[in-house]
Amino acid sequence: MKKAGLLALCVLLVSLCLAGTVSAKDKVIIYTSLENEEVVDYLKLAKQDLPDLDIQAIRLSTGELGARMMAEKDNPQADCIWGWAVTNMAGFIPKGMLAPYKPKGWDKIPAEFKESEGYWTAIDLYAAALVPNTKVLEAKNLPMPSGWNDLLNPVYKDMLIMPNPASSGTGFLQIASLLVMLDPDYKSKPVEANKAWDFLKELDKNMGQYIKSGSKPAKLTAAGEYAVGCSFAFVYSSLKKKGFPVALVLPKEGAGYELEANALLKGAKNEAAAKKFLDWAISKRAMESYAKFKLGVTYPGIQGPKDLPALNTIKLAPMDFPWQSENREKILETWQKLFLK
Amino acid sequence: MNTALKEYTASIDYGISSARTEIDRFIIPAVTIFIALLLFFFMLFPMWSILQLSFFKGGQFGISNFTLANFHKYFTTSYTLKALWHSLYISTVTTIIVIVIVFFFAYAMARTTISGKTFFRNIIMMPLIAPSIVQALALIYLFGRNGLITAHLLKIDWNIYGSVGIIFSEVLYCLPHAFVILYTTLSAVDIRLDEAAESLGATPFKVFTRITLPSAKYGIFSAAALTFNLTITDFGNPVVIGGNYNVLATEIYAQVTNLYRFDLGATISIILLVPSLMAFMLNYYVSRKTFSMISGAAKPVIPPSRPLQKVSYTLYCYLVAFSIIVIFATVIIGSFVKIWPYDWSLTLDHYNFPSIGGYSAIYTSVWVSLIVGICGSFITLVAGYVMETRKPFFKQFIYLLSVMPAAIPGLVMGLGYILAFNKPYYFFYGTPWIIVINIIICNFTLGILSSISNLRNIDPSVEEAAISLGGDTIRTFFRIIFPLSRVAFFQNFVYFFMRSMTTISAVIFLVSATVHLAAIEIIMLDNDGWTASANAMCTCIIVIVLIMLGVLQIVAKKTGGRPEGLAAEI
Repeated sequence: MKKAGLLALCVLLVSLCLAGTVSAKDKVIIYTSLENEEVVDYLKLAKQDLPDLDIQAIRLSTGELGARMMAEKDNPQADCIWGWAVTNMAGFIPKGMLAPYKPKGWDKIPAEFKESEGYWTAIDLYAAALVPNTKVLEAKNLPMPSGWNDLLNPVYKDMLIMPNPASSGTGFLQIASLLVMLDPDYKSKPVEANKAWDFLKELDKNMGQYIKSGSKPAKLTAAGEYAVGCSFAFVYSSLKKKGFPVALVLPKEGAGYELEANALLKGAKNEAAAKKFLDWAISKRAMESYAKFKLGVTYPGIQGPKDLPALNTIKLAPMDFPWQSENREKILETWQKLFLK
Repeated sequence: MNTALKEYTASIDYGISSARTEIDRFIIPAVTIFIALLLFFFMLFPMWSILQLSFFKGGQFGISNFTLANFHKYFTTSYTLKALWHSLYISTVTTIIVIVIVFFFAYAMARTTISGKTFFRNIIMMPLIAPSIVQALALIYLFGRNGLITAHLLKIDWNIYGSVGIIFSEVLYCLPHAFVILYTTLSAVDIRLDEAAESLGATPFKVFTRITLPSAKYGIFSAAALTFNLTITDFGNPVVIGGNYNVLATEIYAQVTNLYRFDLGATISIILLVPSLMAFMLNYYVSRKTFSMISGAAKPVIPPSRPLQKVSYTLYCYLVAFSIIVIFATVIIGSFVKIWPYDWSLTLDHYNFPSIGGYSAIYTSVWVSLIVGICGSFITLVAGYVMETRKPFFKQFIYLLSVMPAAIPGLVMGLGYILAFNKPYYFFYGTPWIIVINIIICNFTLGILSSISNLRNIDPSVEEAAISLGGDTIRTFFRIIFPLSRVAFFQNFVYFFMRSMTTISAVIFLVSATVHLAAIEIIMLDNDGWTASANAMCTCIIVIVLIMLGVLQIVAKKTGGRPEGLAAEI
């Protein structure tokens, strides 16, 4: 008995120590919504370049990250945000939850990719893409789509999959790009009167599922569950490398895109360390590493990944970030009313 | 549950006046108050935060702030209202299916003489060792739109995403829980009644409908209530296989994380709490009656079954066991093949987790679970001891508090923790300790019930002897009670360990950049579409839990107690 008790006590003590380990390094706590697989890569580099930082990160979906911030408003747990959709980020500036910070090398980033006072600095751009499964298309004798309009073809019934715009940033940018593209008067009328909803209602007839994350449509399609996944570009290249039978289609109407940005949180407990990290996060080395995945990075002169088309050859949709950020809640509400069953 | 509940009302005489009894006078109230405070602060306080946020404007308590606007919004928005009907539908159908399947399975175990019972009993307990997400993961691999069975063997188009998928996976998840209750009931009820009816000329069908079923009715109700509760509160399976089909648990998560509507999340939590609380009350009420049905004269001798009966029950049991084995085999094999179902070559690639947590998440999970195991089983044993043998002043009240966690869905408790404890002065927020506390509280009920039933088995005279020889409470506890209940302690330890390794819904809101947990990594991996890696993470958890169960067996053998297997855990 004594032994068991002693053992229990030892285990407890050891674990107590573990839980309260105070390392000599400066801790920095990061929230990110960059994809897990890229973050693992970037973090390896960051740990090399910033040996005196103890970097602790959690990957949350675009929606989850915002919810965390809201929940922790009175007691921020994170120090900085790394790679979060600008649309969502913009909404948090008026809430007074971000602190302006111009990281080292800020001047190198073109003005359209940063907030003028330094509330956020974008690091990359990622674009919506359709990812069809070639084997499924072949087996079911379906045509290869070239853009959004092709997806209305009834032959794709229940064969499409798209992210839920409420939880996924990718889903939101797809919807937002359609709202802007399909209705030239989008600014002058209420969100729910936008012409794009009629298009989406048609598309809904073919939709097999709206799913939580932006990369999952491509991955489920790759696994043969669906024929075409509405997703984003770089997930295609990682699937292709793994040997899945997938293709990449950038919608010919124009590919919606989103900027992903970094920011410092107001009330960050490890501000100095967070600033060091944010400096690193827009350095050339970091940007080069982002460029292995992302369609485009904001640091001038760095080429995107070899297996994706170059950014200047792609027809991008006209995005209106201030408008979509302002109307995010309204857009989501309308979408949910129409398409959640 | 232990069937030999020896109620005793021996009053303990504190005849000896010594300095030691002075400590006693202090220690019992102190422990009682400590446990009451623990449950107050870590269970009722978070629940109060949820109530506040759902009923009061901005979560500010006050008569003028009282509002039903959140409930109005919930009941007038069609897709959130649907979640309620979906949840009730899923839970009802699952309950019916589970009870039918498990009843005959338990009947075969308790009333027939088929061989291989130990094997069947162990297999049906298997779902307990994995997070409630393996079922959904495996079903998609087998019956998904590109599933091995549906698309490649039968070549049919079939969509498992939605209610069908959820029901299938919930049924497989709930089997062990319902089994434990029905098996206990069926083995405890006097089998001679059936024999008497048969020898008086009743047909087997009549015996079944008039004797067997009615005598087990309380067990059936109790198992049904538990299944209903488990299904309606589950988050892991619906989130993976639900598709666009929303249920209350997933809707809470969606409201909070997608729309940042914490108030609506809290409101749906309250709505989810109502049916789950009702099921719990029914179970609580009925399980008290169950024991009164069990007569001391019950005889465990089973008459040999007829050959036909034996064959059909054996086949039936194999079928049930086979489906469970297939689920686990699919997940484990799925974690080793390159691209299911296109490329069957074996690989370890999926164990190279594409996530920040990765192996450190497994490491953290094991540590957290060990601490949860030790603290949880110790606290529940002490609480059980104080309540059972020392009858503190407000025993009934504490008892009620300690069975309440079973009625509160994990997700609701997790949300309550964020709302209540995310303040700068709660230093434990954001550390692993909040997770430890949360898991212990969420599983407090079963821990304390099994501690109590075990303590009732210890002959009170042993303790009386210890006291009359001059032992105080602390000494008696550590020298007499603790050694005598060592096996129960380890069983409780494994139960807490297992729950802590596999729980998803309770801690999904509580993981942070500093604390990654393996079970949550599964959800995240699957969300990102890394299903094979999600399978790999599941496999890791299964292996760790199995190792822990093996250790329990060894410990139990060494200390001379009889190992009772998984069945004793419930």
